[in-house]
Order: sequence, then structure tokens, then C-alpha cells
Amino acid sequence: MSAQRVDSQPAYVIHARPYRETSLLIEALTLDHGRVGLVARGAARPKSALRALLQPFVPLHLSWQGNGELKTLRSAEPAGMVRRPDGRAALSGLYLNELLQRLLPRDDGHPELFSAYVDAMQGLIFPESVEVCLRRFEMRLLDALGYGLVLDHEPLNGEAIVPEAAYDYDPHGGPRRTSAGLGLNLRGASLANMAANRFDDETTRADAKRLLRQVLRTHLGERPLKSRELFQGLAARKQV
Amino acid sequence: MSFSPLIDRLIDALRVLPGVGPRSAQRAAFHLLERDRDGARRLAEALVLAMDKVGHCNQCRTLSEAALCALCNSDRRDRSVLCVVENPTDVIAVDRGGAYNGLFFVLMGHLSPLDGIGPKELGLDGLDARLAESEVKELILATNPTVEGEATAHYIAEMARRHGVRVSRIAQGVPFGGELEFIDAGTLSQAIADRRAY
Repeated sequence: MSAQRVDSQPAYVIHARPYRETSLLIEALTLDHGRVGLVARGAARPKSALRALLQPFVPLHLSWQGNGELKTLRSAEPAGMVRRPDGRAALSGLYLNELLQRLLPRDDGHPELFSAYVDAMQGLIFPESVEVCLRRFEMRLLDALGYGLVLDHEPLNGEAIVPEAAYDYDPHGGPRRTSAGLGLNLRGASLANMAANRFDDETTRADAKRLLRQVLRTHLGERPLKSRELFQGLAARKQV
Repeated sequence: MSFSPLIDRLIDALRVLPGVGPRSAQRAAFHLLERDRDGARRLAEALVLAMDKVGHCNQCRTLSEAALCALCNSDRRDRSVLCVVENPTDVIAVDRGGAYNGLFFVLMGHLSPLDGIGPKELGLDGLDARLAESEVKELILATNPTVEGEATAHYIAEMARRHGVRVSRIAQGVPFGGELEFIDAGTLSQAIADRRAY
């Protein structure tokens, strides 16, 4: 079988690390091929033009070839304007990238997930939308992985969600009505808002954060996210 | 082909150096054996000494064999300004510029969750303690202008503000003597966005 060639694939770099003497090992999220591992030969040379380009947050068109786990990058071109993230956006971006690296297997294409990522990268630039941006991406990531949240009914008995009621959430079994103060203590209205993609209400945002953290923890397993440590380290300021 | 065991071992050992592959390692090994045994002995001695003795400066974390490096120990540096850089080579780069006369703090890396590098690995608790001592009035963030560098700068800035320390970030833009035509789009748009009154 000849080496597969892929041309001008919309992509974002998730992570770059030095590889051998002068190369970089790139993890990229791409439109049709999902997460791919690429070797960028010579990209770590001091004067390489690729060095500045192969950074998270930069919309790219990547071309590569190869069949194995690691493919060879042939070219990288900027696709659209580069907006530099400020420090806070950068931290949030690192969090999203860690989620992808941990949860998304390589070479598994999810065009819908890519468009969720594009939305997130654009939203993170604006400080006021960072939190909502993270929640939306987390939900769309779970959808793409086949772990989508159930938000409109209780799978256990088929009953619709009551806005005034309180719910717990079983990561494998969906929402379950409880007396207030028990379990995750999510408001029914928050679940409905999340289903309708409405996050302007503060309680919804707080509920969504607790719920998604709980569900993501189930899928991430024992090892905690390193980037969460960073957010916790910034305890003095409002948490994302 | 392989040489005698000791020569093979030498060639193999030389390959730890950056940029040295099998060919150049072989060349270096034979050069040392045939022409410069004294030089090789000095090299071996220097390597052993440095590896045994060089550690980190207690104050700024840069590589140093003394508990306090020469910069931290100097009485001619301004102790009220602290410049945070990623690597020991950045200390030399900033110092060479001559515009800076304060002290340094060397992170020995940057925050990178995917590589498992968090605040602890960068010695940020030490920096936090130092900022609490209040000798430092201004902190200059000179981490690299990469996403990880920005995230690191942001994290440290939040930390410093809690201690009431003034925080600044090094400027980004067009290099002196450069030509606009050849500057990448990202740097140029940053330079335009951060333009200043003239």
C-alpha cells in the first residue's frame, strides 16, 4: 500500500514537543482525520518558519503523508487571521487541548468536533465568553465521543425533566430526580437550559460546571487533569 | 563495523551531545585518541566535575555550582526588579542586552499540562515565597511569546498581584534592523495592535 497523502486539511495544533535534534512532534486536531500525530522535520531549527506557525490557537492548513501512528508533515500554511490569546485564554486553551489529548483516540475523524473546537478557539479570545465557551465545548466533545448528556428526561422512568425539581446525574444513566441538596443537586431548569444551549443564567452555568466536571471525571479515569491544577492554583481569582 | 569495546563505548557516549550522530561521534573519538589525548582528559575531568558540582542557585534556580549564583550574589544589581525567564540561556540573552540590571528567576521550562509540567515543577512556590518577602517591587515577565509562555506569564502575574507587586510583560514586535516585508503576519499584527504614541 502506498503512503496515504492528505492535502490542505484544516487543523489546529494541540501540542508540540521537541523530537530528535531539530524536529517537532505535533499532535493536531484536523477536520476529517481527527487527532493525528505528525513529525515536523526541521521545525525546531532556530530559523524555521514553521516554528512560529505550529502553535496552538493558530488556524492552519496541514498536508502530510504516511500510514503509521506518526505521519510526516509536508507543509503547514496559516488559514485566516492569527489572534494571539491572552494569558487567561491560553490557560483555557491548554485545558481543552488536554481534554482532547486524553479523551480522543488518534485517527478518528469527527468534523462536528472540529467545528466545536473552531468555535471554542474563537470564543476564548473574549474574556466574557470563556466560561460558556468551555462548557459548550465539553458538551460537544462528549457528544462526539458517544457519551452525550441526557438532558430532557429521566432514562430510568421516561419522565420529562421538571424545571423546579432537583436532580442528581449518573454519568452512565443520566438525570435522576432527588430531594433537594442530594448528589449533584442540579436544578431541572438548568438541564433544560443546557439542552437548549442557553447559558445566560448564573445558576445554569454553575450547575453545568458541576455536572460536566463529574461526567468528564468518569471518562478521564483516575489520573487528574494537570490543567485543572492550574485553575485551582489561581484560587484567589474567579474560577473558570 | 565495530571497533574494540572501549572505542565503541566512547563513540556511543559521545552521541549524547546535541547534533552528534554516529559519523561525527566516530570522527571525534578518533581525533581524541590519535591527536589530543590531553585535551580529552581535560574534557573528561571537566565533565565529571561539572556533573557532580553544578546544581541550581537557591534563589533564582539557574544552573550554578554555588548556593547563590554570581548574579544573585552581586551587590551591583537592582534587587527591587525581578525578571522571570524560562531557561538559563535566556538569562544570558537578557543580560547581554545591557538594558536590564535587576535579578532573575529561572523557571527551567514553562507550564505545559500535556507534558505534566505544573506550577510545582517550575518552582513557583519558591517564587511565591520570594514575592512575599517584599524586596521585589516589579516583576518583568520574559517568558517566550508562545501559548505556553503566555499561560505561564498569566499564572505568575496573578500570583504576583496578590502580593501587590507591579507586573509587566516584555514587549513584542519588529526586531531592530528588520524589514516589515519579511516579518511574519502574527508578529506584525501584534506590533500594530500594541503601537504606542510617538
